Amino acid sequence: MARMKFLCDAERCIECNGCVTACKQEHEIPWGVNRRRVVTLNDGVPGEKSISVACMHCSDAPCMAVCPVDCFYKTSEGIVLHDKDLCIGCGYCFYACPFGAPQFPQDGAFGLRGKMDKCTFCAGGPETDHSEAEYKKYGRNRLAEGKLPACAEMCSTKALLGGDADVISDIYRNRVMKRGKGSEVWGWGTAYGKPDAKPATPPGAKS
Amino acid sequence: MSRSFLRDRLMPLLGMLVALVFTPASYSADGSRAQEQAQRQQTQPGNNAPMWRDVREGVNQTTQVRGVETNVLMQPSGQSWREVRPPISLAGGLLIAAALLALFAFYQWRGPIGVHEAGTGKLIKRFSDAERLTHWTVAISVCILAVTGLIISFGKYMLLPIIGYTLFSWLAALAKNLHNFVAPVFFFMLPVMIVLFVRDNLPGPGDLKWLLTFGGLFSKSGHETPSGRFNMGEKVLFWFMVCALGVVLCVSGTVMLFPNFDQGRQIMQAANIVHVVGAMVMIFLASFHIYLGTVGARGAYEGMRTGYVDETWAKEHHQLWYDQVKAGKARQHFADDAPDAVRAQVANGLKA
Repeated sequence: MARMKFLCDAERCIECNGCVTACKQEHEIPWGVNRRRVVTLNDGVPGEKSISVACMHCSDAPCMAVCPVDCFYKTSEGIVLHDKDLCIGCGYCFYACPFGAPQFPQDGAFGLRGKMDKCTFCAGGPETDHSEAEYKKYGRNRLAEGKLPACAEMCSTKALLGGDADVISDIYRNRVMKRGKGSEVWGWGTAYGKPDAKPATPPGAKS
Repeated sequence: MSRSFLRDRLMPLLGMLVALVFTPASYSADGSRAQEQAQRQQTQPGNNAPMWRDVREGVNQTTQVRGVETNVLMQPSGQSWREVRPPISLAGGLLIAAALLALFAFYQWRGPIGVHEAGTGKLIKRFSDAERLTHWTVAISVCILAVTGLIISFGKYMLLPIIGYTLFSWLAALAKNLHNFVAPVFFFMLPVMIVLFVRDNLPGPGDLKWLLTFGGLFSKSGHETPSGRFNMGEKVLFWFMVCALGVVLCVSGTVMLFPNFDQGRQIMQAANIVHVVGAMVMIFLASFHIYLGTVGARGAYEGMRTGYVDETWAKEHHQLWYDQVKAGKARQHFADDAPDAVRAQVANGLKA
């Protein structure tokens, strides 16, 4: 059985936030809820990297462990989903999650947070596949349609990979093998030609 | 407790607890690691070790998504919280269970503590209306908070397997909302209680003797060690349970109750641990107080219910205070005008 995973290639992510937008639009997510976000590390310093992050569908998921009503479950594909009908909005999953994945639709004075919402790997929830109830609570169930998560499908540089762990780790491994070093890591070779190729402008010409 | 348990389980746990409480609430990139990463990029392209170290420590970065701590890629303290909480709440649960068992055993062995002489029917107004209103508001709110808190803490293991997911979720949602909305009642009545009761809970004569003799619990005569209006046991409860734990619970609870103040996760995790520890100890202590105030001692419940106690009860349990009342030096007086219904209730409470 496939084990679904996300992988974000920090060398490729260009912080376009396309994944964030794709996710919001695919599931019609309300304002204030961000199932996915892009974090830029060392912003403005040479060598800055961006990484897109959402629920990582952990094997030993902290949210699952701390939930007082045990509303989380794991699908046979390793996707961590939750039942909003059981969720009491206590916020414990939000305390425990390393990635800040659990989101709440309300501001929360007196602890009124509403039902937790998070990335479903585009796999819906416990309701019948493609039902209206499922769409309203969890968004589109793309996996049941035979599609992969919208964020990864939409990624313009294919930095964000989502799917069967064996497949996406092969893709990533191939990239690392072929990436080379120095300026090639950045893909300059593709954009500006190989370093040993003839320069576009002859030496001495005015630029 | 074996040494390996101390070394392998307890010490790392304490270490994490200390780390959870004392590490700064948020880190910012000071730039030094960013520079290190920039240099590393020159010599070893593709080696992002300095950057990943920042990530692992939960350093604040940059994001376009607005919200609390959305700029933190990974928060490390969540894992500490997850590790620390279960053993602490288990220990608290065992402590409370032990207290209930001990009280049950004590009741079987000793039965209710009665009075040695028959009631005279002469009543003393022991508690003013303000004191009773405050006491019962706090008492009822604490009971609701304790029961709902225990449901949230242990229901997953003790109730859910019995009543099932749907019903337990409904119960837990009710418990959470009751907990959150009864909490302000406790929050505002606690200072009132402290102000009203502090005067007679200050140290007084007889306190040390009462403490050393356990209130005369094991004395051969079976008589209680003389005490003022409140005995040393009640004073310990007042200072430790009401003043110290009560305030700690109010503060830590408020931190979690208002996530709309945009506090970070780390302070809420620390508040949660403090709240669990404080609440478990409070329930432990309160169970002794509730025992002695209900089935454990005759006439005590009626005293707080009606405000009146029999002369004999006062002499038996608070002799120094009774002497003061008799001498007219106490703020409480004999009440000859007590209604007949109250007289019947107080007399009934003293009966074996």
